[in-house]
Amino acid sequence: MSVKTLPDAPGVAEPPAGRRSRFSPGALRGVPHAGLIAVLVIVVAFTAMRTETFATDRNIVNILSQVSVNAVLAAGLTLLMTAGGMDFSMGSNVAVTAAVAAKLLASGQPTGWAVAVALLLGTAIGLVNGLVVTFTRVAPFVATLASATLLDGVALLVHDGNTISIGTRMFALGNNKLLGVPYLLVVAVLVLVAAALVMRFTVFGRDAFAIGGNEHVARLSGINVTARKLVLYGTTGALSGLAGLMLLSRLGSSSPGGTAGLSLQLAVVAAVVIGGTSLAGGYGTVTGTALGLVLLGVVANALNLLDFSSNYQPVSVGAVLLVAAVANEMHKARSARH
Amino acid sequence: MTAKESTDSGAATAATAVLRIRGVRKSFGGAAALKGVDLDLHPGEIHALMGMNGAGKSTLVQVLSGVHQPDGGTVEVDGHAHAGLTVRRARRLGIASVPQRRELAMGLTVAENVLLGDLPTRRAAVRWKAVRQQAREALHSLGIDIDVERTAGSLTVAEQTMVEVAREVRRGGRVLVLDEPTACLSAKDADRIRTLVRRLRDDGVAVVYISHYIDEVMAVADRITVLRDGAVVHTGPAEELDPAGLVRAMVGRDVVSRRPERPAPKDELGLSVRSLSQGRAIRDFSVEVRRGEVVAVLGPAGDAQSRLFDLLSGRQRPDSGELHVDGRPVAVGSIPASLGSGLRCVTGDRRTLGLVPELSLDENLMLADDRFTRRRLHRRDRLARRAEPVRRAYGVVSLTGNPPVSALSGGNQQKVLLGKWLETGPAACFLEDPTNGVDIAAMADIHTLVDDLAARGVAVLLASSSAEEVMRLADRVVVVSAGRTVAVHDITAITRDELVATALGGQPQ
Repeated sequence: MSVKTLPDAPGVAEPPAGRRSRFSPGALRGVPHAGLIAVLVIVVAFTAMRTETFATDRNIVNILSQVSVNAVLAAGLTLLMTAGGMDFSMGSNVAVTAAVAAKLLASGQPTGWAVAVALLLGTAIGLVNGLVVTFTRVAPFVATLASATLLDGVALLVHDGNTISIGTRMFALGNNKLLGVPYLLVVAVLVLVAAALVMRFTVFGRDAFAIGGNEHVARLSGINVTARKLVLYGTTGALSGLAGLMLLSRLGSSSPGGTAGLSLQLAVVAAVVIGGTSLAGGYGTVTGTALGLVLLGVVANALNLLDFSSNYQPVSVGAVLLVAAVANEMHKARSARH
Repeated sequence: MTAKESTDSGAATAATAVLRIRGVRKSFGGAAALKGVDLDLHPGEIHALMGMNGAGKSTLVQVLSGVHQPDGGTVEVDGHAHAGLTVRRARRLGIASVPQRRELAMGLTVAENVLLGDLPTRRAAVRWKAVRQQAREALHSLGIDIDVERTAGSLTVAEQTMVEVAREVRRGGRVLVLDEPTACLSAKDADRIRTLVRRLRDDGVAVVYISHYIDEVMAVADRITVLRDGAVVHTGPAEELDPAGLVRAMVGRDVVSRRPERPAPKDELGLSVRSLSQGRAIRDFSVEVRRGEVVAVLGPAGDAQSRLFDLLSGRQRPDSGELHVDGRPVAVGSIPASLGSGLRCVTGDRRTLGLVPELSLDENLMLADDRFTRRRLHRRDRLARRAEPVRRAYGVVSLTGNPPVSALSGGNQQKVLLGKWLETGPAACFLEDPTNGVDIAAMADIHTLVDDLAARGVAVLLASSSAEEVMRLADRVVVVSAGRTVAVHDITAITRDELVATALGGQPQ
């Protein structure tokens, strides 16, 4: 399961207590994300016992590539939420960029041009969110929820009721493999690792923690909070553009009211929150987000393999989110008491 | 038992203790916070709990109010022994505490806050007339004069404390824990609080009073218990101790914080503020601080000084005014301009404007400096190496390597805050209440730090509400009231009592 060997959580300094010392339950509690890992292990063990197909290489690669698009979005959102921001429009941004790129490709434009347009458009949308949030003091939740709804509508307008097929253009990104690992998954892992490194080893990343922890202090300490926020929102926008291209290449077409949009966004937010990143800012880990993504992917896959109707999908996401949020709170309360 | 007590309560003496603590022990992750503490609380007595930051006062109070369960020992209420209390049970037994951080619903009225959780209703509809009436009675019975229809957010800190006290008493609080109720208050407001505390005592409440101000404790307490390193080192009637003895009991040694000889200030101006005005909070304020000089701005807390931080740091734009640092003009109302000029403003409100609670000690310590030196990469081991000398110079002590800064005691947090700003090569600095909420030993350390700062040739502007601190540190003092400068004195030309009188009355003399 540990395809993503990410660096350690970039959170507040915890002594790297003996990882995986299985013989003392006390030490196990000190392991970051202990609750999340436990839930994941239980789900995996349960599913592996019930069906043969779950624990095969093929299926595992399948699960991971299915969460790849979400992973790219979640990596950016983890960084942004740690800095106390929020972007509800990433999923809708994906819908718009995918639709525009599809339209360009369908009209015979070169692939490079379509990719550049998608990335720039995504970034521009992110920057607009950032400008609204930083200069009008509207809560990020409200501002980006508005832009999400707006962008969902724009995506519908671009489609004009038709599914736009791109034929075999960008087929390689969506379907080919590098040493048995799909390109999409490679991209997702690279983005996650990059986000983790930024949060852990750069002053930019630490600025995000400082801004999320206490924006006044960050500003007074000489951090250019406005510029940092614009870069963060721009980054989530650019990653949305990238995710749009990934989604488009995987599906081979873009359809109105497709998989992107607000529903995709909610799954991404769920993964980040399950991973323990604070909605109020000041705390977040990419490791947690990766675990959250895998957990949601595994649950969806398990339901599928166990022949549940796909209508149980949202039920499972909601249930997992609730359980994980409760577990996080309990873990926090317990570590505060010790 | 003392003569005083036996006259108060007649024949029944020791047996009247409403709350007894016996041999309470508590440790957190191996570090012992309380090592077998005994404490008796009697009704109608103000019992001061003294000790340095980290001596175990807060843990003891948290055991009392049921936040923590002791590892050993008993808490006895009215003769019934409990191995530990929960918050709910403590409340039912009449143990209430007013924490340092005011806990009112800021959007609600005073009346609603007083009756919170117990609003009089008729068929689920709130009877507003009765709410106001009962709240008025509750406040009146304690001699508090506050309009019950004001919102809690519009009250001063002192008034908020009073409302909170009234709420707890109305709920049946017989043991009331007040945690530094007069911190950050002006002399006048602190006086009102102390009057209220005496009134509570006369009404038969057992008051636990926590404060760092030695004089205040000597004036208000009937009985003093001193904690040091989690153990009781002294307990007895207040008359048995003099201030020096009290300090010795708290610190374990004599603490000297006397004015040292500092080199004379240089002639050049380090910081000059000209006709700074903003609304009614601060009007035409001017001050000139030479390099190596300490000038204090003294006035009621919440008056001009706290606004000075916002204006000098650039958080807020003044209506008018000029600022010069080292003779160079500095744009007002811009944080980057203020920082770029070499002016360092250290807030008195470390919780909201000083530290990032989630970040580690070292990161907080180097937060500003690392930004000024435009670092790009962050390495934990290198950060620790850079932070080490600052930690040592400022005497920051932590039990475990590098905990989140919120886990430190108040005194240590304050030292981190000072270290963060004063190690960035300041040309001039503004310090707002630099010893806010720190114990007497840390206070002496911080005073020495300020002395060193001035001796290095930094212009220091100090805002304070404590006359003692001003007498100890300042070369000159500017007294402000209602946003206006009312007097300027050389510190050698005024006595402490005159200074207190000026600050209290705030009237031009």
